[in-house]
This record gives sequence, structure tokens and C-alpha cells, in this order.
Amino acid sequence: MNHPLLDPKGTRHLLLGNEAIVRGALEAGVNVVTCYPGTPSSEVPDLFSSLAGSGRFVFEYSVNEKVATEVAAGSALAGAMSLVTMKHVGLNVAADPLLTMTYTGLPGGLVLLSADDPGCHSSQNEQDNRTYARFAQMPCFEPATAQEAKDMARAAFLLARETEQPVLLRTTTRVSHLRGPVEFGSLPAPAPLVAFARNPGRFVPVPAVARMRHKALAANLEAVVRKVEESPFNRADQGSATSSLGVIASGISRAYLHDVLLAENWRDAVRVFDFGLTWPLPVTLLEGFLRPLSRVLILEEGEPLVETAVRALAQERGIPVTITGKSGTLTRFGEYSTPLVREALGSLLGKCPPSPPGGAAGQELAQRPPNLCAGCGHRSVFYAVRSVYGDQAVYSSDIGCYTLGLLPPLRAADFLFCMGSSISAGSGFARVSGKPVVAFIGDSTFFHSGMTGLANAVFNRHNLQIVILDNGTTAMTGHQPNPGMAQEVLGDQRVHLDIEAVVRGCGVSRVEKARALNQKALQRLIREMKEESGVRVLIFEEPCVLFAGRTLGRARRQTAYVAVQDESARHCFANLACPAFRLSGDEMGVDPDLCSGCMVCVQISPSFKARKGEA
Amino acid sequence: METRLRIYLTGVGGQGSLTATTLFARLALDQDLAVVSGEVHGMAQRGGVVESAILLGGWQSPTLSPGEADILLGFEPLETLRGLPFLKAGGAVFSSTDFLPPSSVSAGKASLPSLSSIQEAVRAIAARAWFLPIRGIGAAAGSSQSGNAAMLGALCASGLLPFGLEALTSAIRAYLPAKLVPANLAAAAKGAEWPESR
Repeated sequence: MNHPLLDPKGTRHLLLGNEAIVRGALEAGVNVVTCYPGTPSSEVPDLFSSLAGSGRFVFEYSVNEKVATEVAAGSALAGAMSLVTMKHVGLNVAADPLLTMTYTGLPGGLVLLSADDPGCHSSQNEQDNRTYARFAQMPCFEPATAQEAKDMARAAFLLARETEQPVLLRTTTRVSHLRGPVEFGSLPAPAPLVAFARNPGRFVPVPAVARMRHKALAANLEAVVRKVEESPFNRADQGSATSSLGVIASGISRAYLHDVLLAENWRDAVRVFDFGLTWPLPVTLLEGFLRPLSRVLILEEGEPLVETAVRALAQERGIPVTITGKSGTLTRFGEYSTPLVREALGSLLGKCPPSPPGGAAGQELAQRPPNLCAGCGHRSVFYAVRSVYGDQAVYSSDIGCYTLGLLPPLRAADFLFCMGSSISAGSGFARVSGKPVVAFIGDSTFFHSGMTGLANAVFNRHNLQIVILDNGTTAMTGHQPNPGMAQEVLGDQRVHLDIEAVVRGCGVSRVEKARALNQKALQRLIREMKEESGVRVLIFEEPCVLFAGRTLGRARRQTAYVAVQDESARHCFANLACPAFRLSGDEMGVDPDLCSGCMVCVQISPSFKARKGEA
Repeated sequence: METRLRIYLTGVGGQGSLTATTLFARLALDQDLAVVSGEVHGMAQRGGVVESAILLGGWQSPTLSPGEADILLGFEPLETLRGLPFLKAGGAVFSSTDFLPPSSVSAGKASLPSLSSIQEAVRAIAARAWFLPIRGIGAAAGSSQSGNAAMLGALCASGLLPFGLEALTSAIRAYLPAKLVPANLAAAAKGAEWPESR
């Protein structure tokens, strides 16, 4: 098959960090790839999916990160060089198998890609998964450029196979979504499988085995340290020998440092430790870097992990260096930037160049928050639920596009923790508060971790209205397949699972299904179930409007317009708040370019009318 | 190469400003310039603000901070204004004049600044500025999205870059799907002729 990522050695392409990781894995000879999609990691599995026809590797979209990690680990036990990809919070789901597979080791080699999100660009927290490298005892690579993303991905696989220890490849949003030139290395045949030798004394961690394997892990990590000391990804630049100020920089902070040194012409004023393979700690290399310094600045986003380790090292070895890490403007919150690095370094150099002035935006500008699309079935459901329950119910939300329902006027989210929490946290809230609770969950999230919460809700006789928003795809992350997707879209490699059958299989007897754009059916069913108790499930189906257009090839057959400017039209305008609605002066209208033809407004207000055909 | 340039791009989800960013980054690499670009995906795809950055000539950071951009490309005038703090004093601005009102404005809960007030704010910081109706140019060329090529055409023809319009036309031919090439070439040519605002 032809694809730029399969081009020969010596080719240079402009690649997204995530694309470069795919190439690096291919150059190492990856055999198996599993994932659960999540921004900012999703382009990695999506590219593997589009390259699956090359026959170089086996690929799957798994139903959650724990399952994906276990499938990859099982593959690595069977001798495959394996990759599992996820966003940072996914690693919490996968932590259970992870913290034991570092004990057993995996002969085929396993790399776990964790794409972290400092600054919460598209996440519910900004946890620093380098912590997991320490917790689970995994070597940790932190690329900062597209070329490094490729080179480190390859190196991570080779290290995983050689040492049989799982390896963490950790990016952040900026690294996953930067683009830069990447020079390709050779593309060998996929790695040979390592034959499995039955050995329950290693691979079945009953307590006696586990105690022994914990020590084996420590010994293996000792061997890894020697490789980290010699790694080309850790460069101690002794620069100008007169400088007694050093900087240890890891992750994307290295790019910010590079640009500050370039812009301010400070290159000769500091010595730089470029820290790319950051765990386990290369103590000898670090000691050699720190010895001649009187002061060192540590640049790392997130938790002060390198800082704490360097402080411990200095204390242990009696290195008289003053250490500056998280303080002042360098915090544990959000992302670093060139101004933050310039300020921190400038104050140590006794130079404080003013920040360059920028233009002024002037007055408070109209905000442009992300919004549910025109024609989105979720908007119709939220409108119907709100018209029946209003503020009487408490709304337990979940992770997906439908989280955007929190904004007024829909206000369909009162709390949220993580994937799948809508059902279980909703159960707990309802039991204590005695209030009606409506839990919203999407199809992919339901398969990810809603099913266990549902089984628990039935088992423990919880009292909860569950609304499954089935849009037939994993919409928020880019329309990846999930078990709820229609068989004709899935093709013959995957099998469709019927959500209603799963719900009934979990012991729910009260289940109804309707089309999400049918207001009359929605409101009737919601009203009926409102009077009942126990676990009730409503499944509202409507393909994601973007997916319907792009993948299912559905075209709109009509558009809406406002025929009468009256109170009923104003009510619909204010409470449905479709992004296609336009107000010019006092006159309400519908933008024919944006209207998807869902006709929910027409059902809500007789003052909205349909116009046949393309606008 | 001596010239180091930092370009800040901003627009609205769905407009195609990320496609334009990637096209421009690829054309810069084809001109043998050191290039890094950066973008943020995810929630922004649902009609939110989409920001990206292109850094030429040896910068490594995939993002810009206020006051760092030599050039600002605003694919929507409200976003030009919102992005203005990123422009350094004496920089250049290329901005669309076609508004895409956010839903708060459509619903009558907020209002848009006037185009003239935006132009005034731009002139207060920028040494040079171009204002183009990119949706209009695009629509006339064959598709409203091709208007993004008009913006890049104006930039490439401005003399601010170490290459000219030919670099853009060959990149359009090389990297865009064949059926989009004529409209994008026409829009790029129109943008290249667009007069600088005085």
C-alpha cells in the first residue's frame, strides 16, 4: 500500500508529533497496536487504523484503556512488539494491569503512549503521568520535537524488547499536535515474535511470585539506568566552562528554553542539560552536570518530579548547588511558555528583559465557546428532558460531546468525574439526596465503563433515570468505531453489539427506545418514566450530524425558517439555542447555511416552518 | 537562513484555518526553511476559537505567547481582535472582514465590535495591515473555504516572507485535492492582488 508514512529511508516529511510516533513504531517493527481514543492521543490509532491494510501489524480500537492495555500485554506475552495508546486519564483506567505487568515483564516488548494535557485543553484534569513512570517503574521518554517523537518511539520499542520491561512514551498536547520536519530511518520488516516459554513462576503473580518479581523489577531497572546514562536523548552540554548557572529542561520546556536562549542571546550564559529519557534517573550523568554549578534551574511542566529527585541527589551526594524549581511564576498549574522561562532564567542571570508589548483587544469581547452542532440529537434530548424535569432533577453527566450540554440554556450537567461516572455517581447521589437523578451517557462511553455501573445500579436497587445518547459513533474524538456502531459501518472485521440487549442483559426491565429528533416521543417517554422508580433506561438514537454527513452520506432534505415572529418562536429561540439561529435587530431567523434540517425547532414551535429542498 | 518569523493564526472551528496552517507549513518546508507549527485539537472543533502558530527559521516552540508574533492571520475579524495581544508592536496583520458571529451574538446576548473599530485597534499596534473579505473572495472563486488561500496569497505577495506567491501556487497544486485546486489558485491570485490598507 502507498502512504507517506511508509516512504523509504531518507525521505523527509512535515509530520504531526502523533504521526511521527506512528512512523517510529513502524521503524521499530511494531506487531500489535491497541488503543482507546482520546484527545490529544487520537491521531496515533487513527493513522494505524488507516495503515492496517499494509499487513505490517494487527490493530484494534478496544472498548477502554484497561482492556486495550491487557490485549496489548497479552500480545506482548505471546511475543509481539506491542503498542497501546491513550490520553492521560485513560492510564488511570489501565493502571491495574500496568502496575503488575512491570513485575512480570513482557518478552515481546510493550510501549504505552500516554498523551498528557497540561492546561486542560480537552480534559477534566491535568494529571502528570510521569508520576506513573515512577509508580509503576517504567522507563519514560519525553519528546519535544517531531523528529524526537519518531526517534524516541523507535528507541522506546527497542528498549522494551531488549529489557522486557514496559516503557512509557509520554507526550503532552503541544508535542502531539506540533508539526515539524522528520527524516525517516529505514523501515524493516515487522519484528520477529519472541516464542512464549511457559513459566508460571514468573507470569502468575501469586504472592510468592510477586515478592520475587518485585526484586526482579528493581534489578531490571538497574540495568536500564546504565542505558539511560548513555542515551543520546540525555545531553549534558558543558557549554561555556565559565558559567556556573545550569538549566535542566525536560519535555516541551526544552523548546521554550531553546527559543529564549536564541531570542535573548543567552546561549553562552548557561549550561543546559537536555533531558529526554527522564526515568529512571541517570544519577552519574546528573551528578557530573551539577558538580561545577553553583545554581541550577529545573524546567518541567506539571509536578516537580525532576526537581525533587535532583534535590534528593544533591543532598545524598553532597553537591553544593542551589536548586530553583517550582517557585514564583513556574508553577504546577497549566503550561510553561517562553515568557515564563525568560522570566525565571532572567532573574537568575540578573537580567529581566521586559515582556514584549502586544496589541490590545480593547473591550470585553463576545465569547465563542464550543457548542453542540446544529442538528445534534443531544440538543433535542436535553431540551426534552429539561421541559419535563426542569430544575427538579439533578443531571449526572459523562465524557463526550454531550458534556457541552452544561451550557445555558440546556444546563444538562450538574456533576461529572470521568468516563462512565454518570451512572455510578448518579446512583450514589440519588440514594443520599432522594432527588430524581437523570444520568446522561453516550454509546462509546457506555461500552467503555457505563456497563459495570449499570450492573451495579441494578444489583443494588438504585433509583435512577438513565438516558443513553446513542449517536452511533465516538463523536468527540473523531468518529472512531465502537461496539454500538452499525454493522454496515463496522464492516466484517468487527461485530455490532446491541445496546438495548446489553441493557436488558444487565437486568434492566424498563427500557424504551426512540429517535432523538422526535420531540413528541421523547417527551412522552420521559414523562412516563418520571413517575416510575428503580433503574429505567431510555435509549435515544440519532447519528452524529457530522458523521451522518461525512460517513453515512446523508444529505438534508429541508431547512427551517421563522414564519411568525411571536412569543412561541421566542421561546424556542431562547430555550433550544440552536447555533443556526440568527437575530438581526429584533427579527429571528435561521441561517440556511448552518441549518441541518433536523426540524426540532419546527416541532417545538408552530412559528417555525420547513422549507423543502436545499436552501 | 537569518530571517526568523513567528506567525499567529486564529479563526473559528470548521473554517479550515488548520488546513491552511498545515498547507503553509508544508510550503515553507519545501522552500527549505526550518519550520515548526502547532495547533490544538478537540473541543475547538465544535465552533470554538481555533488558534495555531507557524514558526520559521529555527524557533522550536510550537506555540506563541503575547507580543511574540511578527505576523497575525485572522480568518475572522472578531478573532483578529481577540488575537491582537499576540502581535508584537510593528508587526503585520492580515485579516478577514467577513464576520462569523458567535452564538451569543446570534442569540442577541452580546454584540460584535464594528469592523472600523477592529481596523483602528489593528493600526494602533501593526505597522502594516491587509483587510480582505475572504469568504466573499472564496465564494467568487468557487467555494467559501478557498478564501483561506486568498489570505495566504496576500501574505506570500506582501514581501514579508523569504519567498513569493509561486511557492503557494505550487503547494496548492501539490497538496490539495485536485478538485479544490482551481478555486484555491483563483482565490490565492485574488488575495495576492489585494491592496495593503493605508
